[in-house]
Amino acid sequence: MHPSLINPAVVGYICAMGLALAYLVQRQELVHRIAVLVTLAAWAAHSVALIVRAVELGAPPLGSLSDAISVGVWVIVALELMIEHRTGVRILGAFVLPIVVLLSLKATTARPATLAPALASAWISIHIALAMVGFAAFVFNFVGALMYLLQEHQLKAKRPGAFYYRLPALETLDRLTFRTLALGFPFLTVGLILGAMWARTAWGSTLAFDPLAFFSLVAWVIYAGNLAGRAAGGWHGRRAAYFAIFGFAALVLTLGAGFFLPGRHGS
Amino acid sequence: MPLFVAGLSHKNAPVGLREQLAVEEDKLRELLRDIQSDGVLPELVVLSTCNRVEVYGVAEAPGEARAAAFRHLCRYRGLDLGAVEPVLYTHLDSEAVRHAFRVAASLDSMMIGEPQILGQVKDAFALAQACETVGPRLHTLFSQAFSVAKRVRTETDIARHAVSVSFAAVELAKKIFAGLAGRAVLLIGAGKMSELAAKHLVEQGAFPVYVTNRTWARAQDLARALSGVAVPWDEMETALASVDIVVTSTGAREPVVRAAAVARVMQGRRGRPLFFIDIAVPRDVEPGVDGLDDVYRYDIDDLKQVVDANLRERAREAERAETLIEREVAKFLTRQGDVEVVPTIVSLRAHLEEIRVAEVKRALARLPEATPETRAALDALSSAMINKILHAPITKLRESSRAGAGRSWREAVHELFGLGRRS
Repeated sequence: MHPSLINPAVVGYICAMGLALAYLVQRQELVHRIAVLVTLAAWAAHSVALIVRAVELGAPPLGSLSDAISVGVWVIVALELMIEHRTGVRILGAFVLPIVVLLSLKATTARPATLAPALASAWISIHIALAMVGFAAFVFNFVGALMYLLQEHQLKAKRPGAFYYRLPALETLDRLTFRTLALGFPFLTVGLILGAMWARTAWGSTLAFDPLAFFSLVAWVIYAGNLAGRAAGGWHGRRAAYFAIFGFAALVLTLGAGFFLPGRHGS
Repeated sequence: MPLFVAGLSHKNAPVGLREQLAVEEDKLRELLRDIQSDGVLPELVVLSTCNRVEVYGVAEAPGEARAAAFRHLCRYRGLDLGAVEPVLYTHLDSEAVRHAFRVAASLDSMMIGEPQILGQVKDAFALAQACETVGPRLHTLFSQAFSVAKRVRTETDIARHAVSVSFAAVELAKKIFAGLAGRAVLLIGAGKMSELAAKHLVEQGAFPVYVTNRTWARAQDLARALSGVAVPWDEMETALASVDIVVTSTGAREPVVRAAAVARVMQGRRGRPLFFIDIAVPRDVEPGVDGLDDVYRYDIDDLKQVVDANLRERAREAERAETLIEREVAKFLTRQGDVEVVPTIVSLRAHLEEIRVAEVKRALARLPEATPETRAALDALSSAMINKILHAPITKLRESSRAGAGRSWREAVHELFGLGRRS
């Protein structure tokens, strides 16, 4: 990462997270508006940092895992602003921005990465870009599922608590998880296929899986099951929400494997 | 001259006394004129609702003015002033401003956040304006009170959550369904409360409404009243399969909606939620349906629990509203210094403008061949002169008033320019 530019973005995301959480507690309109503005400003700084990084590299900043995560964060924030604007779910930031902050801190503190030379190729850039867009969509799939379970629990328990007042209708949340699943899945699928094709040309075997690839396949199976269940089996609500959370857990393990376990994806 | 509020409200006076003192609108006109003819209250607004009777005014001697106002009020209602006097409260200046803001913002209401009070205050103010008992002081006070009330309403959630059982049910429905437009409602049994709940749902766009009852004629009557469709009692399960919200209120001793039936119905719904609002006692819907996915059942106690939670939420929001009002009161008081001298500034400007217009007209009468450019130049020249001349005196008036010495300067300006006695 380009430190002088990425740091303002990270600091901005941290401020925006603080404001979004303050809005969750206090629900002051002004706080929400400032939170959105700060998020936008941080995202703009982040965009500039990514462009500078791309110019430095002479290639899209997708070569190392921390660069890729940074791009993923950039997509997540863009989606957050867009979904919040379109659905009117104003507390989305309070759920998504903590994830954004965790990821960007991890991306900036990771060792400066040198990529395994086998990974330097245009195909690999596309593989990573698609995987990151998919990942970003699944962040919202996860957050929507979490919000659904919270609201569903409150409605079943018949004791309206803080979240009852702040969360939108169950139907809205179920629709959000379904749409993000439908958005993320094709990206993840094509990303994985490209990865496997690359593995075949680079290492001579489609099944030359490292830990990252293994967990991402697990995540893909869970998401495929969830999507099939929703499309054909009438899955919805709680069951679909649990699967969204399992799938995201597998994605977190995928990232964890990339960062902490030795493998062909480098670190 | 001090600003004051005097009166009684649900906080300190029993309903027996309030209802005796309340005045209806046509009487209020007479009353306003009578009080003003005493000459102790140059400005006056009377607010009379079932929860409060208050006199807002500006007077040299507030104590005397209060006595005069309530003497008239008591005379109208045939009451003894001695019986009312001990419960009256009086707020002066900053306290009066705070009180006016709190009343308009519904913080002083019996049900905090209830929306009617603002309308009532607006009506009282409009009436006093029509009777010409409102001067600049009360005008600024009330217009500010209205804008503060609006801010409280938009910036806090004080009036957001339902405090009646039937509205709480509608709100719950909105937490389950994304919008109520086009959601079908089934009414089982016919009670006043369920009819009310159904009406609220229909107002939010719910449609169509089905009504079923053991007595077919009763079902038809209610269906007609709600522009709905009557459904025979033994076809209830079929109706359950197609609706989204069910309101029950039969007088049956045993539940009329069984968990087993609901379980059957849910299988064909492909996850569409079903919401039971059970207002009947004893209950009409078997509590066992709680164990089914996508079924939400609220009985009367559950709804009351929601209302209680809403009330607590309102109380929390009211605290935020109080801080907002404190800030607005402080702002109002600093600005008020200016307001005191505004009438003087306005009449000074009007006076000089009158002279200017007359002189320009005279000059132009002597210049019949003046081009439009010349006319415009004359106009601009004279306006500029007036503004330059007025700048220093107006600044001085504002400053002195903020420093608390507005009065002597005001009088001096009136004397010097011959502005007449009215201040």
